[in-house]
Amino acid sequence: MADVIVVDNLTKSYGTRRGVIELTYSVAPGEVFGYLGPNGAGKTTTIRTLLDFLRPTSGSATIFGLDSHRDGVQIHTRVGYLPGEFTLYERMTGGEYLTYLGNLRGGVPLDQVRDLAERLDLELGTRIKTLSHGNRQKLGLVQAFMHRPELLILDEPTQGLDPLIQQVFYELVAETRADGRTVFLSSHVLPEIERVCDRVGIIREGRLVAVEDIGDLRAKEIRTLDIHFAAPIRPDAFEGVPGVHEAAVVGDAARITVGGPMDAVIKRAAAFEIVDLRSHELSLEEIFLAFYGGDGHGD
Amino acid sequence: MATEALRPRPMLRTVLGKTLSEQRRSLLWWGIGLFLAGASYAPFYPSILENAKTLEQYMNSMPDFLKEAFLGASADFTSPAGYLNTELFNFFAPLLLLLFAIGAGARAIAGEEERQTLDILLSTPIPRRRVVIHKFGAMLVAGALLSVLLWLSVPLTGPPFDLNPSLVDLTAAVFMCFLLAMAFGAIALAIGAATGRRALAVGVTAGIAAGAYLLDLLVPAIDSIEFLQLLSPFHYYLGAEPMMRGLDVGNSLVLAGIAAVAFVAAVVLFERRDLAA
Repeated sequence: MADVIVVDNLTKSYGTRRGVIELTYSVAPGEVFGYLGPNGAGKTTTIRTLLDFLRPTSGSATIFGLDSHRDGVQIHTRVGYLPGEFTLYERMTGGEYLTYLGNLRGGVPLDQVRDLAERLDLELGTRIKTLSHGNRQKLGLVQAFMHRPELLILDEPTQGLDPLIQQVFYELVAETRADGRTVFLSSHVLPEIERVCDRVGIIREGRLVAVEDIGDLRAKEIRTLDIHFAAPIRPDAFEGVPGVHEAAVVGDAARITVGGPMDAVIKRAAAFEIVDLRSHELSLEEIFLAFYGGDGHGD
Repeated sequence: MATEALRPRPMLRTVLGKTLSEQRRSLLWWGIGLFLAGASYAPFYPSILENAKTLEQYMNSMPDFLKEAFLGASADFTSPAGYLNTELFNFFAPLLLLLFAIGAGARAIAGEEERQTLDILLSTPIPRRRVVIHKFGAMLVAGALLSVLLWLSVPLTGPPFDLNPSLVDLTAAVFMCFLLAMAFGAIALAIGAATGRRALAVGVTAGIAAGAYLLDLLVPAIDSIEFLQLLSPFHYYLGAEPMMRGLDVGNSLVLAGIAAVAFVAAVVLFERRDLAA
């Protein structure tokens, strides 16, 4: 089957400001594609171009084989969209808002709306003015999912959601994928992308630095272990252990950078008496530094 | 509960209906304001009639262009039509309707964009063009409702005070006043649709209106540049004195034409540009 999203040499610049530069990638049907990058990297610019809110400076974006600008309306019937930043009509209730959007979409099955609201624990009779940020985000999610679109484009969908609701969101994404529908979601949080996505496009300073399978990304994943031993150990205790990138031992403390499986390192460490062991995942910035040769700062 | 919250709502079927429905409270206040504006002149009419002689002498001592500026071309303010023309339709009624229309026009697109409600609205299969059409339509309907209330104020409050103008001419005056307001409302809509900035749309349109009003008021004093009056939309309304002389079809078409051109500009400019996040 043809790709759902094809981004071809897409450049968007705003006068002198950088937007995105020569992006090229595609998203296959049934795929959950993560769009990862620090804030200000160009994720929202890309997404708003896909939806025809921004017009490409050069290059093109195609969705379902249709041009994002010329065929915008046709595309929108088949897409559900959650913006990164949005406001809802404050004086409406959640139910009125969804009714309105459902009408503009030519009618949406009510059970679907009700079901989504229930799962996300969202009260539809309340005025939007009085809703918390998290509840507004839920309302945004319901309107994106409610018409069962073939493609969901979600900009930072989990911001402001509490962990339980995030869990529900991950389930919704999984179900969407199981239906053979496609999800394109942006995030600046790596663990979230790892958790739900099949592939990830990494964007930094407006440029796509890599498109990877999540499995490959995991294999590359680097963590730092801080181990505190009961007594000083040999400085070369971790040398040559498989997976160890770097080991700094000072007296009874060691900081070890490990890639891939942890087994060998843990077994070596277990030869000594351990007081404390902490593991840190690298931040997105550190990953950029380690793999993509940048400092990870958007601007 | 959820079932109740999701019951069908006819007003929420279209962007037009929704726009009107969310304005209902403010429309009520505007309506009361316009009705009171129309009604407030009636009680003073008898005393004007009583002092007609003195007032006329006083007015006749004024230079012609001032007389025209303050009283309108006919300089008749003692007949019911002349009184309403001078007091209500030369200033207060167009001022109120213009304020309303400029606010509504500026808010239509730029308001949604600035409040960040536009992205989700346009992510539905509603073309940008249709949003402009519906917003313009909502402004027309709201303006028409307010105009009806303005109209009603005269026959409902005038008769006890012997203020009984021709209702046909009253209709003409309210209608042309409505057209003038919609012309400026459409200009505000176009500026808002082109820039996405509401305050800018209000400010620039209000500036254009003030300039156009002064142009129409002051230019006739100087014969050599009197033709500049033709540039002012106010000329086609104030100069026609519909309250005295009935509907001026040609001038009405000019005013409607200004609104139509501004509306088309709004559609074209909004279609072409990037939207603010």
